[in-house]
Amino acid sequence: MRVGYYPGCSLEKTGKPYDLSARAVCRGLDVELCEVPGWICCGSSPALKMSRLLSLSLAAKNLLLAEKDGIEDVVVPCPFCFRRLLSAQQEIRDDRPAGIRAEQVIEARMRGDVRVRSLLDFMHGAVGLRSIEERIRKPLSGLKAVSFYGCYIVKPSQVIRPDNPEDPTSMDEVLSALGAEVLDWDFKTECCGASLSISKKEKVLELSGRIVKEALFRGADAIVVACQLCQSNLDIRQGEIWKREGRKEGIPVLYFTQLMGLSFGLPASELGLKGLIVDPIPLLRQKGLAP
Amino acid sequence: MLRLTGDPGEKVFLNQVIERSGQNLLECLQCGKCTGGCPVASKEVFGPRRLIASILAGCKDEALGDPTWLYCVSCGTCATRCPVEINVYRVATVLCEIAEREKVVPPEPGIHLFEKLFLKSVQRHGRASELKVVMGYNLRTMNPFSDMSQGIKLMRKGIISPMDLLRGGKKDETASRIFTRVDQVENERVEK
Repeated sequence: MRVGYYPGCSLEKTGKPYDLSARAVCRGLDVELCEVPGWICCGSSPALKMSRLLSLSLAAKNLLLAEKDGIEDVVVPCPFCFRRLLSAQQEIRDDRPAGIRAEQVIEARMRGDVRVRSLLDFMHGAVGLRSIEERIRKPLSGLKAVSFYGCYIVKPSQVIRPDNPEDPTSMDEVLSALGAEVLDWDFKTECCGASLSISKKEKVLELSGRIVKEALFRGADAIVVACQLCQSNLDIRQGEIWKREGRKEGIPVLYFTQLMGLSFGLPASELGLKGLIVDPIPLLRQKGLAP
Repeated sequence: MLRLTGDPGEKVFLNQVIERSGQNLLECLQCGKCTGGCPVASKEVFGPRRLIASILAGCKDEALGDPTWLYCVSCGTCATRCPVEINVYRVATVLCEIAEREKVVPPEPGIHLFEKLFLKSVQRHGRASELKVVMGYNLRTMNPFSDMSQGIKLMRKGIISPMDLLRGGKKDETASRIFTRVDQVENERVEK
């Protein structure tokens, strides 16, 4: 299978482990990822907040680059980029005055037929659980995980049209297929504080703090995510969160792609496991998943 | 309690927000599900329900001074739970655009500064460089060592490189062209 790939800016920097593990897992599944040539930033939350036309146009430009490259499906690991590209495509189609202005900005007309998919949905829906199961060399037995979807991959339901925006199950199903014990919890789609991490750190410590505390309370060994922004808030901010609580704890926050890679028996070095702040290696060793 | 005074300006603002956001605020039931689920609502940040009430009442200054729209992280929970499907992050964009055009001092200057620096980085390089945006933000807010220990941890793990700061970064024409064209198209629209 050959699909387009739009990594987004974060995956070149703080989200590197996500990019590494996504590419490694796709290789393992014989999925060829073709990076959208010359892609630029989707504008992220700052453009979405500050200028609708800018936000639409940046997304439109990337979709156009994909169209020109003959890409039919573009797979997007970053949930924010995913939602922005998908939403822009819908807005350009359904709100023609705004769509025409965006096309004036990018000086081209859009076909609007590239299929935008999140990496999680692609794995769950296109690759499928059966193909994933066939690749398993080391089942994740004994690993208690909670799946954390965050916001952008499921909400708002008007844009994403998920099966259930409040209780999604795709990641749970992937992790169960890998042999992990997936625990039920109420925090699947809570907000980690997202882009407020730098300008309103207090808010992020509060929101992410509630999530990591709940995960431990539920008895999870690890939180599993599909978003590099959730990952960085839940992982990098944990030191400060536990310090305030006067506790010395930590719960690894792994990408679902890293767990897929481990269960496929891929070497840890290809999965960016060393790039996480709360070190997952002791846990993985204890479960017999890392040397 | 917000009350309409009958001033025609009240309607102008309300209609502007409705038209530009594509969100029919007149359908708002004031049920409060939005604020109930809003991750950023607090004692100081009043949340979507009250922000919509201010707009419905035509209280422009109050709406533009409400920190809710700057705090909004566009999580989409309000739109997902709203019985009439009002999306508040679309409203936040319109309020930000109005505040920007009319040079209203943003109620949360820190959030606003971060977003501006981020877009500057995109305009120049085509892709955002997180490290540079964070450093620029910390310098400008006179807090140069904020998150230093987190930064060092990430460098030790090989996730970010100090070279990213030293390197000028490539200039990118694609993105800067889009920024220029956005200004042109917006100006043509205002002239019409």
